Amino acid sequence: MFVGYISWCYLLRRRINSIGVMGITVGVGALIMILSIMTGFLEESRDTVRGSLADVIIEPADIPTFDGKRLPKSADPLIAAVLKEDGVLAASPRLSWGGLLIQPGGGGFDSIRHLKNAQGNQFVFAHIVGVDVQSEYTTTNLREWLTNESDARVAVENVDDPFARPEGYAGDEPWAWIVVGEQLAEYRGLHQGSVINLITVVPDPRNGEARENNRKFLVAGTFRSKDNEVDLSRIYVDRWELSDFLSDTHEYTQVLLKLDDYEKRRDTVDATLTASLKEQGLIVSDRVRSYEVRTWEDFRGSLLGAIENERVLMGIMLALIVLVAAFTVFAILMMMVTEKRRDIGILTALGATPTSIRSIFFMIGMWNALLGCLFGAIIGVLGALNIDGIERWLSATFEVQIFNRDVYMFSHIPAVVTPLTVISIVSGALLATAIFSFFPAWRASRLHPIDALRAE
Amino acid sequence: MSQATHKDCLLVAEGIRKSFRIGDREIEILHGANLELRRSERLCLMGASGAGKSTFLHVLGLLEPPTEGRILLNGKSTWDLPMRERAALRNRHIGFVFQAYHLLPDLTALENIILPARIAGAYGTLPFVKREAEQEAAEILERFGLKDRLKHKPNQLSGGERQRVSIARALFLKPEIVIADEPTGNLDTGTGERVLELLFHEQQSRGASLLLVTHDERLAERCDRVLMMEDGQIQADSSVVIPH
Ligand SMILES: Nc1ncnc2c1ncn2[C@@H]1O[C@H](COP(=O)(O)OP(=O)(O)OP(=O)(O)O)[C@@H](O)[C@H]1O
Ligand SMILES: [Mg+2]
Repeated sequence: MFVGYISWCYLLRRRINSIGVMGITVGVGALIMILSIMTGFLEESRDTVRGSLADVIIEPADIPTFDGKRLPKSADPLIAAVLKEDGVLAASPRLSWGGLLIQPGGGGFDSIRHLKNAQGNQFVFAHIVGVDVQSEYTTTNLREWLTNESDARVAVENVDDPFARPEGYAGDEPWAWIVVGEQLAEYRGLHQGSVINLITVVPDPRNGEARENNRKFLVAGTFRSKDNEVDLSRIYVDRWELSDFLSDTHEYTQVLLKLDDYEKRRDTVDATLTASLKEQGLIVSDRVRSYEVRTWEDFRGSLLGAIENERVLMGIMLALIVLVAAFTVFAILMMMVTEKRRDIGILTALGATPTSIRSIFFMIGMWNALLGCLFGAIIGVLGALNIDGIERWLSATFEVQIFNRDVYMFSHIPAVVTPLTVISIVSGALLATAIFSFFPAWRASRLHPIDALRAE
Repeated sequence: MSQATHKDCLLVAEGIRKSFRIGDREIEILHGANLELRRSERLCLMGASGAGKSTFLHVLGLLEPPTEGRILLNGKSTWDLPMRERAALRNRHIGFVFQAYHLLPDLTALENIILPARIAGAYGTLPFVKREAEQEAAEILERFGLKDRLKHKPNQLSGGERQRVSIARALFLKPEIVIADEPTGNLDTGTGERVLELLFHEQQSRGASLLLVTHDERLAERCDRVLMMEDGQIQADSSVVIPH
């Protein structure tokens, strides 16, 4: 009781303590703010990456084969089989192929055989994705991407049938309509009705030799996935159009799955599906953890892992600030113990025990930590929740761009404040200060304070 | 010394030896000092500087352990009690007044005075009610002529004022023993006399015993008994009863 009172008096009436409090405030505030922002980036990136894939991607390794073990060419048996599996909500076929996009224009050309003055920058790698639109909508975020709010968007006319010829289109070309990424459209100046040329390579069914196909397509609109890479290279087209473009060699290359509870099944789903599909002869893998059945994390795990690593490193570095702040408290306490030697003697004469003297100095340290954590948590949480506004204000005031909203394809700075983060940071700071306060407090109780009571 | 006399005595010191370690040398300061402090008595301890008076007071006040010997408070041995109980005894039964005042510089006069009550509250020996304690402290300060100094910090007070605050603090819990080590040593004669007058008056009206160390013969004359300390021992024949 009097321990709390005396330590509180010392805290308030010795200005030096404000340095300790401020140090911990800064450390805790910065940790909470930065970690919340990193968590925000991580979650946003996860959402983006996950959205550009599906929960599970089945990519049979062997369609078609030339060694007689031919798997069904059609996706239907595989889809029918996986839909019977536990936890699979939806499945959609995809025909995914690589190609080159060549833009008619300056150089001018009619086909791959007639390139006039073609420039290197006119060739763009294209990831051509043939989809059954309605089915694709059940497993991926494509529908949202087509309707995402964005300044640069070229809207498709009918989201339910994005590859349909726009009503008002005047031309009468027989070519199929495609949807391209917003970034690609922006860099290439594509708009509704723009003509592009796609070139690809397909196997000759007779002898397996590489054969190049090329065809013109018309741009129906754009999508925005927020994933830079996807928005720069992916081109959506109707699956049967693509199959036709590939000379009917393939009908599908992937089947995407939507699960009922991804988090629950993420660790087991690939093994169970592989075993079951292999038994039914729908994939040919001879390994248990097959690369033919993968979760979206298997596909892009390294990117997320990098962000996660960054977050951990950032946390460790910022934890050093808290450690330094706790050390400041240590220094302040050591100073106060020396300075207060006479006070310790007086308190002893008035009836205090060494234990209560120790508690007094320990509590001064803990008051520093508690106040610092309180202020730090408030500043950190408010800062993280309002980081976007703060950044805009700072950018406007100092006329420098701190956060480039185009680079990350984030329209805002994401921040996710979790109670667990706040609690662990606060308890970490408290623990560090407690450890650092212990020694000065112990020293205070071991002083021989009576000597200080002798008349000077 | 018979047991009967011990019983009448509030505080008894038997054969107190005290030595200090300096480096690897033991220096004995008290060489078997004896003392009896009777109830409500005003006992004066005199002696040359360096004789060991302050050291003796610290041992008697349960602040420092004797190297040898016993201290009995109300007939009970003290240095074999647990630390916490001894501290509680010190808090409740003994009030200190020092030459250098020894107020906590960060607390106001009022806060300094009620500090012993807070500590007693922590021990549970006396309930602590802040409002009552402050009321009582304010009354004492008013009696001591410090009505306008309640909220002053020690460094805003004169020496005489500080010593009066320190006396108020020593007396606050109505201890049975007040130990004063040269309380007027830092004050001019006039102020010293007034402060001591206050101390004597309060001690008498409360019936507390006073153990006073002073170099001032005139103060000694006003005490019931005077003991001489010489070279770490109380002179056997030094006890003088001064008739009032
Ligand atoms: N902690 C200590 N360590 C070593 N020596 C000490 C210690 N405390 C006191 N002494 C020594 O003990 C002797 C007695 O000191 P003490 O303060 O008791 O004398 P005193 O009688 O009160 O003198 P004064 O009248 O000047 O106050 C001195 O020689 C002093 O140096
Ligand atoms: Mg002395």
